[in-house]
Amino acid sequence: MTQQGTLNFSQVNKQFNSNNGNLKVLQDINLEIKSGEFISVVGSSGCGKSTLLRLIIGLDAEYEGAIELDGNIISGTDLNRGIVFQEHRLLPWLNVAQNIAIALQNAQLSQEEKHKTVQEHIDLVGLQGFEKSYPHQISGGMSQRVAIARGLVNRPRVLLLDEPFGALDALTRTRLQNELQNIWEKEGITMILVTHDVEEAVFLGNRVVVMEPRPGRIKSVLDVDLPFPRDRTSYDFLKIKKEVLKEFGGHLAAEISHAEAPVWSTGEYKLSW
Amino acid sequence: MTVNKQNYFVYLPWRGIVFPVILILIWQLIYLAKIANPVFLPSVFAVIEQGHRLIDNGQLWEGLKASLYRDLVGLSIAIFLGVSIGIALGVSRLAGKVFLPTFNTIKQVSPFALIPLLSFWFGLHEPAKIAFIVVSSVFPIMINTYEGVRGIAFDYVEVGRVYKMTTFQLLRKIILPAATPSIFRGLHLGVFFSWLGTVGAEYFFTAGAGLGNIIVDGRNSSRMDLVLFGVFVIGITGYLLNIGLSYAEKRLLHWQIQKQ
Amino acid sequence: MSETLKQEYQRDTLKRVKLPNFAGIFSIKKLMNLTIPFIFPLVLLGLWQLASDKGWIAEQILPAPAVVYQSFLDLIDSGVLLEHLIGSLTRVGIAFVIASILGVGLGIFLGISRRAEAYIAPLFEVYAQTPVIAWIPIGLLLFGISEKLAVALITIAAIVPIIMNTYKGVRYISKNYLEIGNVYAFTRWQTIFLIVIPAALPSIFNGLRYGLTQAWLTLVAAELVGIDRGIGAMIVEARNLFQLDIVLVAIITLGIVGLVLDKLFVLVERRFLHWQRRGL
Repeated sequence: MTQQGTLNFSQVNKQFNSNNGNLKVLQDINLEIKSGEFISVVGSSGCGKSTLLRLIIGLDAEYEGAIELDGNIISGTDLNRGIVFQEHRLLPWLNVAQNIAIALQNAQLSQEEKHKTVQEHIDLVGLQGFEKSYPHQISGGMSQRVAIARGLVNRPRVLLLDEPFGALDALTRTRLQNELQNIWEKEGITMILVTHDVEEAVFLGNRVVVMEPRPGRIKSVLDVDLPFPRDRTSYDFLKIKKEVLKEFGGHLAAEISHAEAPVWSTGEYKLSW
Repeated sequence: MTVNKQNYFVYLPWRGIVFPVILILIWQLIYLAKIANPVFLPSVFAVIEQGHRLIDNGQLWEGLKASLYRDLVGLSIAIFLGVSIGIALGVSRLAGKVFLPTFNTIKQVSPFALIPLLSFWFGLHEPAKIAFIVVSSVFPIMINTYEGVRGIAFDYVEVGRVYKMTTFQLLRKIILPAATPSIFRGLHLGVFFSWLGTVGAEYFFTAGAGLGNIIVDGRNSSRMDLVLFGVFVIGITGYLLNIGLSYAEKRLLHWQIQKQ
Repeated sequence: MSETLKQEYQRDTLKRVKLPNFAGIFSIKKLMNLTIPFIFPLVLLGLWQLASDKGWIAEQILPAPAVVYQSFLDLIDSGVLLEHLIGSLTRVGIAFVIASILGVGLGIFLGISRRAEAYIAPLFEVYAQTPVIAWIPIGLLLFGISEKLAVALITIAAIVPIIMNTYKGVRYISKNYLEIGNVYAFTRWQTIFLIVIPAALPSIFNGLRYGLTQAWLTLVAAELVGIDRGIGAMIVEARNLFQLDIVLVAIITLGIVGLVLDKLFVLVERRFLHWQRRGL
């Protein structure tokens, strides 16, 4: 397998300018991610971890510094970078198979190839038999699996996951974490997962990046030198988990209310002419 | 690219005027080029002149006063009936099931079809007009109020129940505030339909003064400029009525996240 | 404390269940639901019959139900009712199709292009609040009494809710869906056809439904100007001849056909929007 999916962050800074002043969202982010690595990013609310993902995926293009994928500076969105959001964001008017297929809309594959890879990924996430089901007919956990399949179907060089299991109940969350680990071991795709759940971060990652807020910066990077598949109850696991938790110290993370989320209009969204 | 909020508000009204102004210019150009029959498309200035005349001889003011009076009387009655019945039907599931299907059928009947009945029952003057306005506007108000009351997240009602609120308290503190957005949707429709009813009533029950009568006069004397001026005033008045309601709505619903 | 509250609450909840729970009750409940809508109309009918029997209301102001029913049968037999009904339905049909195509198109345009919205929306809002009646004199002077005028008037009225709802549906699409299009490198047209329009479809259908209702309501007004075939024409004729019974037949027909049209539309809508979660 070629050296694909390496990410390099050099002096990445981002600030959000508004009438009320400038808010520094990310400060001096420097990080090197190797091909095939699983990186967990943990931090409390407001540390900029989701913003970081949005920069990588290209939904946000205003920042200083450089983010390079395999040596090329990223610009805008591209099919070689995939993402799974916290809300599954499945299009309600498409069934499971169509939702996954929509990722291939602009892929350079024949209809047959597309069909084949969609089916492969449905099998990969264990949803055989549900190809024709609609989002409103399946559970939250199943919907997230579809989202994961959709994120992977393009065989991206790197897959980003933004608190993908945050909206699910604890049992489903554990199950999906296990499944995600299996998929990662099988496919070998570089993955970056953002979460506020320390156990999830340690369970899944080769390395855990701890971020702290205001301004968002990397506090430390810890290695998780444990064999796969991981055992949540082993002594070594708990030791590392404790180390990560220590990084958070005693500071309280204020919950930022999302009540004033900016409302977008279709026109604003790059469609106005 | 973010547009500075301050600038945007200075922008907006001007852009809205451009298009109508262009249309008026085109209209005047067509008139000057004598493409259309001047009976059908009079000069813009002729229309303005008609306006002047009506303002001078007080007819415009009389008509406006009469129309607005009719409209508001009819609308008030419709709001009173519509909201109260809507709430009653919404609160009592049984009442809703019994009466709503019939109301849904009645609302499909154009008030204009009821003109013969109304003229036999109420005569040809003010009472008939007001009845017509009420009939035109009561159903949208009623049905939207009903849907507002019924559609309230049961969660909120349960909170009230848990604190042992009486039905009246439940109504005042939980149901009505939660239903207000829907009620206002109904009120917007009510304002629209009552204005429609007012002009319609003046058009078909012609005794008396009103804005509708102005365009009837124009039609009778084949004066397109008079008709056009009347249409203009009617349109603007309807628009202002709606804006007035929106303003009241914004004050009352300040707690809602506004989608702009 | 919480235990007693819970008990009381459960008791309250049970109070609302009116029917006991045993087999066979399901079909009885269904039967009840089917007949309940007819209670009120039947009561009104009864009152009506009573009023005319006892002579509380003069014959000229409100004919007896039997008379109206007889007129109804006569009109069906002579084929007159059907003829008028077809005339009206065709008119509404044509106008609705025109209004739908223009309305949805314009609505999408206004929803997508912020610039178009800024320039056109204000004038449209004024137009939307202008009663369709106001256009009648202009129409008369331009077209004279004609089929064209009637269809034009209905279109003018019906297009308003269609444009309004389509425009709002397109404009306020969730950013979440648009970002998916962005992540998968959609072109502008792909975004419009694969995301914007499907996401706005519920609103569009809502607008079309209101448009249909508006069209049906405006029909009579449009026909009152002097068309010779249609329910409105039937009413004018009957009124001139003081035949209130025929007027009542027309009114009832309007109500029922309107209701049927609405229910049919909902069936069509459900077919297209089967993917929607059944909300409240």
